[in-house]
Amino acid sequence: MHGYGIYLLKRFAQFVLVVFIGISLTFFITHLTPIDPVDRMVAGMTTFGQSDPEAVEAMREALRALYGTGAPLLDQYFEYWGRMLVFDFGPSLSSFPTPVSQLIGRALPWTFGLLATCTLIAWVLGNLLGGLAGYYRNNLALKTFGVVAMGFHPIPHYIIAFLLLILFGYLWPILPISGGASQQVERGLNLPFVLSVLKHSVLPGLAIILISIGSWFMGMRALVSNIVTEDYVVYAELGGVSRRRIMRSYVMRNAIAPQVTGLAMSMSGFYNAAIIIEYVFSYPGLGRLLIAGVYAGDYGLVLGVTAISIVAVSAAVFLIDVLYPLFDPRVQLS
Amino acid sequence: MPAEATGQGAGPVLTVRNLRAYYQMRYFGIFREVRAVDDISLEIGRNEIYGLAGESSSGKTSFIKAIAAANRPPLNIVGGSVRYSFLDRDIFRLDPQTLAAVRWKHLGYIMQGSMNVLNPVRRIRESFVDFAFRHIGLPKAQFFALVAAHLERLHLPPDVLRAYPHELSGGMRQRVTIALATICRPEFIIADEPTTALDVVVQKGVLGMIREAQQEIGSSILFVTHDMAVHANMADRLGIMYAGRLVEEGPTRTIFAEPLHPYTAHLIQSLPRIGDLAPKKALGGAPPNLAEPPPGCRFHPRCPLAMDICRRETPALTTLAPGHRVACFAASPEVRPAPPDEDAGRADGREAALQPAEGR
Repeated sequence: MHGYGIYLLKRFAQFVLVVFIGISLTFFITHLTPIDPVDRMVAGMTTFGQSDPEAVEAMREALRALYGTGAPLLDQYFEYWGRMLVFDFGPSLSSFPTPVSQLIGRALPWTFGLLATCTLIAWVLGNLLGGLAGYYRNNLALKTFGVVAMGFHPIPHYIIAFLLLILFGYLWPILPISGGASQQVERGLNLPFVLSVLKHSVLPGLAIILISIGSWFMGMRALVSNIVTEDYVVYAELGGVSRRRIMRSYVMRNAIAPQVTGLAMSMSGFYNAAIIIEYVFSYPGLGRLLIAGVYAGDYGLVLGVTAISIVAVSAAVFLIDVLYPLFDPRVQLS
Repeated sequence: MPAEATGQGAGPVLTVRNLRAYYQMRYFGIFREVRAVDDISLEIGRNEIYGLAGESSSGKTSFIKAIAAANRPPLNIVGGSVRYSFLDRDIFRLDPQTLAAVRWKHLGYIMQGSMNVLNPVRRIRESFVDFAFRHIGLPKAQFFALVAAHLERLHLPPDVLRAYPHELSGGMRQRVTIALATICRPEFIIADEPTTALDVVVQKGVLGMIREAQQEIGSSILFVTHDMAVHANMADRLGIMYAGRLVEEGPTRTIFAEPLHPYTAHLIQSLPRIGDLAPKKALGGAPPNLAEPPPGCRFHPRCPLAMDICRRETPALTTLAPGHRVACFAASPEVRPAPPDEDAGRADGREAALQPAEGR
């Protein structure tokens, strides 16, 4: 596994580099803007009512110390990295004094559970159906699915989310339209809670699946209809290899590798879409946290969510890269 | 019409009668027909290597697909029959299950040795299992021992079984496909340009191996290539295709010594010879558009010997010497016109440079 080790090392270096650049960017973008968060906060607090200038100055100093904005930029940068490595983003402003990392820790499982599951469901289902549609070109059910998928594909994700919201929350109210679980059930690993979570995840999950399944389906169908004319498929057919074996080991197996790459490449896109979808359905995940943080001007919270998102998306891409040689033996050499 | 059975042993392995295979397409309601295989009859005897020659787009690959019943739309079988000695009926009348059972056991196939003939994500041993395991009827361990022994005969180490196709050289891959095609000892092997992608040195070795394997298992081979030098070394008998038709057929020696059809003569003259410094002349023009072939003999627009009758009538494939058939009026005044073709009036003799679509 010598070649694989080098491959792994290269990918890991890439992952570290992306995270480093991404998190540095978030630092410099926020610190090089002319807006000083401490000044803004102080201004917000002193807009109404009279304040003692000395008290204001003391508060300004206290906030500067808390957020470390007084020091030179480079020192701040190193300090920022020092705290980043232990996931310390300071206290949240909008829910003071809860630490940002705790808020993120609470939201992360919701986003991760919903997004990972639904992205995977959409990927597997879309590729399976697309592969079958490419191989059995005259199947009516698959053709119909293709037309429907093609119709859904160009609709923006927020429109789909709203359509589902109106359809199943208002016109035919059978599913909960907000929250992650019912408030009445006790949180924990018990059946009513799990069922409630599942029920609440149907609509946002459906939205995520609907926006992505069409592109997997169409991509796979196009790949497969090219692969069925490849020499090795024609050769296997001439060899009397069974159709099921050809479909599985010759056609799908070769078409899946570019789709794995596609999954890695569209990861961040799905993440962005999921944030909006979470907000539409008030799902208690990172998306809602981020948007709430933006509205409240919660500097630390926004930075924290952004940093975690960079790490999470890069990690997902890294994981897919690590698994890629399982799908295509040819990358081990290069 | 039938050729003399020149093959050794009793009866031919393959008998093709008046085979027509056309690419039939409908573009925006306009029907188009490309006659890639037009009225070909031939027989291939037991233990014989039959070479099929012709330039690109002469219909060689379409012919192979048709006789292997591997044609897919838009290539359709329009008429004729293809019979093998190991089948009790025409290959086009077999149900898919029987056809799949016959493939590889009786009817082997060697394709051009490009990267793509073997599944890039499957190890060689898995390809052997896919193609041959069900025919051999041995437990796995014995099956792999048999495969390894067979590979050794083709000078391949047994570790290639564990390799992926991309880990092998072009010559090794080609030898693997030969091993794959011969492991079940089929009666009939179709070899489609098996050495085209290889350099000359490797080519020589591979050709020797095909011959060895053929002699050892006693099968017949239809060997298709545009390379006349390869034919001179391999084929017992030779058939020349031009524009979807068989224009000459005979023992290889006879064809090379005294070609009767001007097209064959040109193909042979184009071969380089040691000591011959004369520049090689290219044949003017291009193969005809098979959607609208020229009337009469399809070669007449490019033929140096073309006569009036060549522009009007299609020459039939006629036996001029034992085992030597030719379709040319100039070759012999005895050559009769072919029975009138239903399409003769439709063609307008336009010498289009359009190549026939050779879709897969």
